[in-house]
Amino acid sequence: MTGMTVPRRRFSLSAGEKFLPADRIVNWALVGVLVLTTLVAVFASVLAPDNPIQPVGDLNLPPLSPHHLLGTDNLGRDLLSRTLIGLRASWFSALAVVVIGLLSGGLLGVVAGAFGGWVDGLLMRFTDLFLALPGALVAIAVNAALGPGLIHTLIGVSVVWWPYYARIIRAEVRGLAGRPHVEAARLAGVGRLRLIRRHILPGVVPTAVVTASLDIGNVVVLLAGLSFLGLGQSAPAPELGADVQNTLYLLLEQWWIPIIPALTVMLLSLIANLGGDALRNLLEGDR
Amino acid sequence: MSAHDMPTPDTAPATATGPTTDALATAAAPVASVRGLTVSLRRQGVRSPVLRGIDLDIAPGEILGLVGESGSGKSVLAMTMLGLVPRSARPRITGTVHTAGTDMLHGSAAQLRAVRRTRLGVIFQDPMTSLNPTIRVGRQITEVTGDKGEAITLLGAVRVPEPAKRMRSFPHELSGGLRQRVMAAIALAGRPRLIVADEPTTALDVTVQAQLLTLLADLRDEFGCSVLFITHDLAVAAQITDRIAVLYQGRVAEIGRSAHLLRHPTHPYTAGLLGSRLSLSTPRGVALPTLPDDSVPVTERLRGCAYHTRCPLAVDRCATQQPPLEQVEDTGGQRACWRDSGAVSDVHDAVVPAGGLAAHAEPLGARAADPPGVAIEVRGLTCQFHTRSGFGPRHTVHALQGVDLDVRAGEALSVVGESGSGKSTLLRVIAGLTRPTGGSAVLRGTAQMVFQDAGSSLTPWLTVGDLLRERLRIAKVPPAAATGRVDTVLAAMGLPSSVLSVRPGELSGGQRQRVALARAVVVPPTVLLCDEPTSALDASLAASVLNLIREMRRELAMTVVFVTHDLAVARLMGDRIAVMAHGRLVEEGDAQDIVTAPADPRTRALLDAVPRIDGPADRPEATR
Repeated sequence: MTGMTVPRRRFSLSAGEKFLPADRIVNWALVGVLVLTTLVAVFASVLAPDNPIQPVGDLNLPPLSPHHLLGTDNLGRDLLSRTLIGLRASWFSALAVVVIGLLSGGLLGVVAGAFGGWVDGLLMRFTDLFLALPGALVAIAVNAALGPGLIHTLIGVSVVWWPYYARIIRAEVRGLAGRPHVEAARLAGVGRLRLIRRHILPGVVPTAVVTASLDIGNVVVLLAGLSFLGLGQSAPAPELGADVQNTLYLLLEQWWIPIIPALTVMLLSLIANLGGDALRNLLEGDR
Repeated sequence: MSAHDMPTPDTAPATATGPTTDALATAAAPVASVRGLTVSLRRQGVRSPVLRGIDLDIAPGEILGLVGESGSGKSVLAMTMLGLVPRSARPRITGTVHTAGTDMLHGSAAQLRAVRRTRLGVIFQDPMTSLNPTIRVGRQITEVTGDKGEAITLLGAVRVPEPAKRMRSFPHELSGGLRQRVMAAIALAGRPRLIVADEPTTALDVTVQAQLLTLLADLRDEFGCSVLFITHDLAVAAQITDRIAVLYQGRVAEIGRSAHLLRHPTHPYTAGLLGSRLSLSTPRGVALPTLPDDSVPVTERLRGCAYHTRCPLAVDRCATQQPPLEQVEDTGGQRACWRDSGAVSDVHDAVVPAGGLAAHAEPLGARAADPPGVAIEVRGLTCQFHTRSGFGPRHTVHALQGVDLDVRAGEALSVVGESGSGKSTLLRVIAGLTRPTGGSAVLRGTAQMVFQDAGSSLTPWLTVGDLLRERLRIAKVPPAAATGRVDTVLAAMGLPSSVLSVRPGELSGGQRQRVALARAVVVPPTVLLCDEPTSALDASLAASVLNLIREMRRELAMTVVFVTHDLAVARLMGDRIAVMAHGRLVEEGDAQDIVTAPADPRTRALLDAVPRIDGPADRPEATR
């Protein structure tokens, strides 16, 4: 019975594997793009060549003009700078909504799933109540009540966004709670809080992370839509949705001025979706 | 040393009736023929060889058993013969495979479909997943036969009672045995020349298994088709096969007529498998025979004979040169081993115990002073579950219907029964995992449980060290003492200390069950509850885990309740056996007495259904 070997970890790069299979490389690359986008958003003000609010050059310069890579808009503001700062607002807003939803919905879901019984029933009916609210309308209503502004829009969207997470995470917790490893831990005398923290929660994290990252794209599009309708930051501040709305009439003459922020929204949503998918592939492959 | 200058260990045993299958194999063209087959598959990013040069023929009307432990490549071989190797595994295949006259490796998709539809039938292990749950079984059969009357005839042929009525059932409305019969009916629908049965009885109770084996043999006689019967259990293969091919690490170790191979194995691996099989006559008081552990990484194994690291007969040559599969002249079988078969039979005789049921009947774990008193007291225990399928009415399942049971402190009790008998529910109620509907189950002391599926009973993201230390922390063992405790328990389980930093998913099945056992006993409980801890393991691994449980029981003076469906295991693990059926205790008594002189007809049925290796000797030779 001696000399039994333990196989080395299958997925560590050091485990003697000579190469990564192609699909894993692609997945890692897509997750990398997701991280890169966040880094671009973090350093947007450093990366932006000009002040996004002040006119800095001639009006309506096309893309690839000297000193203005994406050209300038109808007021002579640098489009690259506006896009970068607008991207930062979009990306962080979306992240904020998703993180708030994940934390509050997740907490509720874990409590409901782990305790079950009437606690579960009560919390889930509460969740259903919020699930019935239409997202865009609540955002509009909050703006109408508290005055227009990005923060108010975020509050409105966050209020309706968490119930999805609550439901998904509750289902996941319930599923895990019935697994033999949780029963074994219960028999081993593990207390309830520790049981949740050590034996259930880590199993929920992959699902939560994947769901959230796939959701970022949805929130980006929703927020851009609301901003297009005028429910975003107030006028001079660069914002992708609002910029499209404000310059839409230039579409036939200076097409790049509305198209560039519109394309940026699309790109962000695409990156979030592809990155989320890639993350799921990687996490599921490791299971 | 080659095959022809071997001593002849036996005189041909089957002088019985009619031509043997080997004679037939040369006379008629084989139904399936595999030559030099190698298959490598990519799993989770790593390519590994699964089959490494297989030569095999299946004669018309023959039942060929394909036996090997998990990972030996038997299912992949079957899939290759059906042309169904999953493309997602990126298979690389060389060699030739002809099934029912078609080249299964190079045929067009349409050709393969046509052959599978008309010439081949398949029965998989789990009929629930291989039948479409949303379609009535009648239509599923009619899809193949094209004719309803024919479908009813087929259901009758596979001995489904009231076939016309059953046509309208959905798969979930049938029992496991009936579902497997429906699978057989579908397999037969095209009047196939070959039926591939991949572990068709593994998920079934022993009594149902016995019926299905009889059915398969009968169908072969009625329809004249060949059967490729895949199993990990030599005794099951012994029941119905004409020939057996033993697979080890993707190569045929030995192939020969069943009756001969099972009594006179010519390959050390076959001898080891036979030796580590638990039967109703395995000695109770001594450690169970096991194969040496499989300790060598895959890459190392590819040099020489794959078995040489575990082989008691290995010589230098075995480590460097791969033995070819050679004809054994006087038996018509083939073997791949450098040592002569005389040496193998000596090993076999040394390992396999002689003697009948009454021999070696001494009770196990007889300790001088068991603590007095009752460890578990079960009174009038009932347990009901409510189930509801779709919009249908609510069903009440009476899992336990008034069970009274006492387990004395220090005693080992085996609980035996078929699936649905309530044996697992009883254990779960005792453990406190399931709340009973009525009655009481009192446990004096502390209990730990070992689950059937060790893999899922260990938290996948925690390391083995975390799991063991958590247990010690809860028991308030000071950290200084904890390390010593962990080392002791790992040593007792035969696990290297490197497992501490590893997660359960990275361990093999046998190692996982040892870790689960280590966690259960690292803080010694007074009662150890075992729920079929070895039913998912290969024979030799199972035996080594059973040995460990018995050792632990002896050393830690634990009371043990051991739930199993296997009477042979129950006899080995329990001082007493309790037999359950339909939520009731039907018989209870000394383990040896229950096995030698069962009083209840249900116990007798269980006992009769246990597959025995000496079966073929009494069974008339197949006459085709």
